[in-house]
Amino acid sequence: MVDEPVAGSGTSGFSELLNVSVPATTQSIGQVTGAISEILLKMDVPENKRFEIDLAVQEALANAVLHGCNGDASKTIHCRLNTDHEGHIVITVTDPGPGFKLEDLKDPQQPENLYGDHGRGVYLIRQLMDHVQFDRGGSEIRMWKY
Amino acid sequence: MDINVRKRAQAQLIQLRGPLRMGPAVDGLRQTMEEALGNGDTRLVINLAEVPMIDSSGIGLLVRFLASAKQRGGSIKLVQPSKFAVQTLRLVGVLNLFEIFDNDDAAAESFA
Repeated sequence: MVDEPVAGSGTSGFSELLNVSVPATTQSIGQVTGAISEILLKMDVPENKRFEIDLAVQEALANAVLHGCNGDASKTIHCRLNTDHEGHIVITVTDPGPGFKLEDLKDPQQPENLYGDHGRGVYLIRQLMDHVQFDRGGSEIRMWKY
Repeated sequence: MDINVRKRAQAQLIQLRGPLRMGPAVDGLRQTMEEALGNGDTRLVINLAEVPMIDSSGIGLLVRFLASAKQRGGSIKLVQPSKFAVQTLRLVGVLNLFEIFDNDDAAAESFA
């Protein structure tokens, strides 16, 4: 994991807590979620909120590895953890892929999709986080936890 | 993740320890369940008491094999899922697909 820590407060209450670039592997996912969990623990973020963030980051990174990088470990994923000027937790995951269209995603709660073995990641992220934004055609996801 | 399999008369008991997420954990459980179904063991009890979290790939694995087991006359029953596992299964609408029990014996005996 290439760590580029830029800890400390910015000029407008914005604080960057983690900024890493990692190879697109499942091992990297565990490293990044572990690092974020440690930071959130030190920030005294409540357990339930830490769990929800951990799972949302897991899903975002898994999507980046599987879909953004097609499992190609030579490709790189970027992940940043910030707090914004209101103190909200913000996580950004960027991959080098072409992105996707939100309207192409199926609703996993529909009866015909209940027994499907994939297609729940983005749905879960949107349930777990307070605000989710996709940029760069879907290859960058930004997630807020209030 | 640790995966411990025990054979009972009524069912195969699969005890998991650790997060069930994409990577070796999901791959290991997939292999375990493929072997069970391949051997004709379609009645599976999965103990989740020591599984602190399940991601979407873990959920996908559970529901896919639940469907396979049911098609062959069996099922997958869950034991003591953690509160976060329950919360996640509920969020994606699959919690009600599973029967949930307080202990392995009750889950295994429910197959009798």
